[in-house]
Amino acid sequence: MTFSAFFIGVGGEGVLTSAVMVAEAAHAEGHYVRGVQLHGLAQRGGSIPTEVRFGSEKELFSPGIMQGDADLIMAFEQLEAVRATHYASKEKTSFVIEDNPFMPVYANLLDMPYPKLPEIVRRVKPFAKNVMVFNTAYLAEKEFGNAVLGNTMLLGAAIGAKLLPLKSQSFHAVIKELAPRMVKENIMAFDRGVELGKRGK
Amino acid sequence: MSVLAPANSKTVLLGNEAITRGALEAGVGVVACYPGTPSSEVPATFSRIAKETGVYFEYSSNEKVAFETAAGAAWSGVRAMTAMKHFGLNVAADSVGPVAYVGVKAGLVVMVSDDPNGWSSAQSEQDTRYYARMFRMPMFEPANPQEGLDYTKKIFDISEEFEIPVFLRTTTKVSHSIGTVKVGRYKKPNRKGKFKKDMQRYYNLRPNLQKMHRAIDAKLEAIQKKYSKNFTTEIKGSGKTAIICSGVSYEYAREATVLLGLKAPILKLGMTHPMPDKELSAFIKNKDEVLVLEELQPIIEEHVTQLAKAANPKLVVHGKDLLPKEGEYNLEKVLPAVAKIFKKKCPDFAARTKKEQDAVKGLPPRKPVFCAGCPHRSTFYAVNKVFPKDTVWAGDIGCYVLGIFEPFEMQDFIVSMGASLGIGHGISCVSDQEVVAFIGDSTFFHASLPGLANMAFNNCKSPLVIVMDNSVTAMTGHQPHPASGFTGMGDPVKKLSIEDICKELGAEVRVANAFSQKDLVSKLEELKKLKGLRVLVSRGECRLFTKRKLRKQGVDFPVFEIDQEKCKKCGVCTDQFACPAIVEIHEKKGDKPTYWINPDHCWGCSVCMQICPYGAIRAGVRKK
Repeated sequence: MTFSAFFIGVGGEGVLTSAVMVAEAAHAEGHYVRGVQLHGLAQRGGSIPTEVRFGSEKELFSPGIMQGDADLIMAFEQLEAVRATHYASKEKTSFVIEDNPFMPVYANLLDMPYPKLPEIVRRVKPFAKNVMVFNTAYLAEKEFGNAVLGNTMLLGAAIGAKLLPLKSQSFHAVIKELAPRMVKENIMAFDRGVELGKRGK
Repeated sequence: MSVLAPANSKTVLLGNEAITRGALEAGVGVVACYPGTPSSEVPATFSRIAKETGVYFEYSSNEKVAFETAAGAAWSGVRAMTAMKHFGLNVAADSVGPVAYVGVKAGLVVMVSDDPNGWSSAQSEQDTRYYARMFRMPMFEPANPQEGLDYTKKIFDISEEFEIPVFLRTTTKVSHSIGTVKVGRYKKPNRKGKFKKDMQRYYNLRPNLQKMHRAIDAKLEAIQKKYSKNFTTEIKGSGKTAIICSGVSYEYAREATVLLGLKAPILKLGMTHPMPDKELSAFIKNKDEVLVLEELQPIIEEHVTQLAKAANPKLVVHGKDLLPKEGEYNLEKVLPAVAKIFKKKCPDFAARTKKEQDAVKGLPPRKPVFCAGCPHRSTFYAVNKVFPKDTVWAGDIGCYVLGIFEPFEMQDFIVSMGASLGIGHGISCVSDQEVVAFIGDSTFFHASLPGLANMAFNNCKSPLVIVMDNSVTAMTGHQPHPASGFTGMGDPVKKLSIEDICKELGAEVRVANAFSQKDLVSKLEELKKLKGLRVLVSRGECRLFTKRKLRKQGVDFPVFEIDQEKCKKCGVCTDQFACPAIVEIHEKKGDKPTYWINPDHCWGCSVCMQICPYGAIRAGVRKK
């Protein structure tokens, strides 16, 4: 069984690091890993997609996820969730969305209003088996004084909600390797996310 | 993800990192590159690990110099490598051709990354495989990170064995894909060499040239004979319908057959020049129909069609009849083509696409923008104030290409590194229009010096040249250039002075602080009145780069805020300046907006404070 996870957010906001954590955790659990990490222009505040796939070497080949074939979509910015619908389908895709609006300058420039959260969920629903929204950036700021930890917390939420078939312990180990300067905070944020995921909000 | 993972362990690597590891395992001693996406992580990784591993690494001023540096090392007996994006090879090509004729002593690998789809803001989709044919150099194409490592390691040997430089070609989804990789062992490389004079060998003029031509063809023939089998993978299957592919298309072919439950015969080419003719002919001999999967041009397809004339004249060859030449492949493009020739059912991807388009209808796009605090935004804003709307904005390659988007729309054309000067000059030669040519600091050293010298030399009315000096090659990840003050190995070095060079060329030069509208406007006004070669160096460090430096030192930026009493809601800061940190909020539809600076996104450049017509923006206090 191949598991395909799609990560989307705004360039420079730590989406890539979150995706790398998932890839490393999957690797640590003995999975064969493939995926896509686009670099370059995408970092300049544009919407940045990253893909991670894991499973068996005998079945998994393509680095990129096929249209409608993602098992999980993690949106680190709520509006970007809608742009990930290409990879989603009613049959198999769960959305985990961070309630954290980052208004693109084009909302003003082109006079296209930034939609409110219920509108975003309404647009995503036809492509989703399951939509979960968490306010992890807000909680991370409130509880740890650092909104960036919301990303790790959101990963924890996906684990807690059993939407990402990997173990918490694998992430603890990966955090030590990838975020050596803030191990304790990241692990606490991750565990807090697991708790949120179990509760479902 | 560790490029320096212990020998014989498994790790997850980016394609470019795996290639770097492969080069290390091959004992590469010298690596020289100009950064270019999608190949940039090869030099970026070497830059990080060079000292630790004993490799000499440099960021060269352009790809031609980088290639020449690597060739000089290889001629002196030290294994060398260069990596570049597809356009980089156009710059380097002048030297690559002759070096291929002369050959090398130690292994020389030239990595070139093509970018179908133009993810990296490429100005055309170029298929580098034609270069291999033109220069008669062997070309190898890995399909995934594991092959990236294995091929790189192996082809250093082949290059050395046949004394010929070799191409390693990737496309975006090989360079920028991750995969589980089993690594081998690396040791300290040999970095000491000696150039041995040998006129017989290096004399590439007539009549030796013809002899060399014959020799290089003989080398290719020998490589084809010896290595075709090693670089060809056959997946056995049943039936008379089959797939031939190379590069990342192989990954799509394999997964497509898994998804469709097929036992299809697949032949994968790891060496695409010279092609494995014997293996290809044997493979197509007993087939009725083949589908050739390759991104961009139908090079393998045409070759197979040619081989089939002798091997199997009745063979039906599919490829670009079912798949596009433009853009990159992915599963939803490959799966329907495979399903079609194997007569299987496939999901209707096109019907779904319509629904997806409806889902995003009316939503604001998130195109890339100048970062908050970017000096380029400030420069474009000032230039826009000083010059009339009908000014010709000659564009170039760097972060400032983003000036093409709203609200600036100040890159009328974008051609290649340095072309803003040449084309701007050409327009000035025939038109009375004002021309402003934008050029970056890294681009200045890469390809602008000949353009500037030409303008100085051919004393006609010239464009106003604006050097957008943000101190590093920002677009590809803050690599140093000759005016940055540090090398690719992190050593401090004297900065070259862009203004001194321009003055030496006889230009009227002004240097402005890119974060000061007043300074920019007054210097632009001055230059506008002058004639001849005029250069404004607009200097302001890339804010992202400054931010990273300050963060390491534990220092925070200032932050700016809007005085709601003074704000007249004119919208200049959002509509004309368009800083992503400034947000326009409408509580309800039709309500008057509120403007707010998001402190999490403000990097304290202060330019919004300078452009606010009502003095409503002021320095604030950053929350700890």
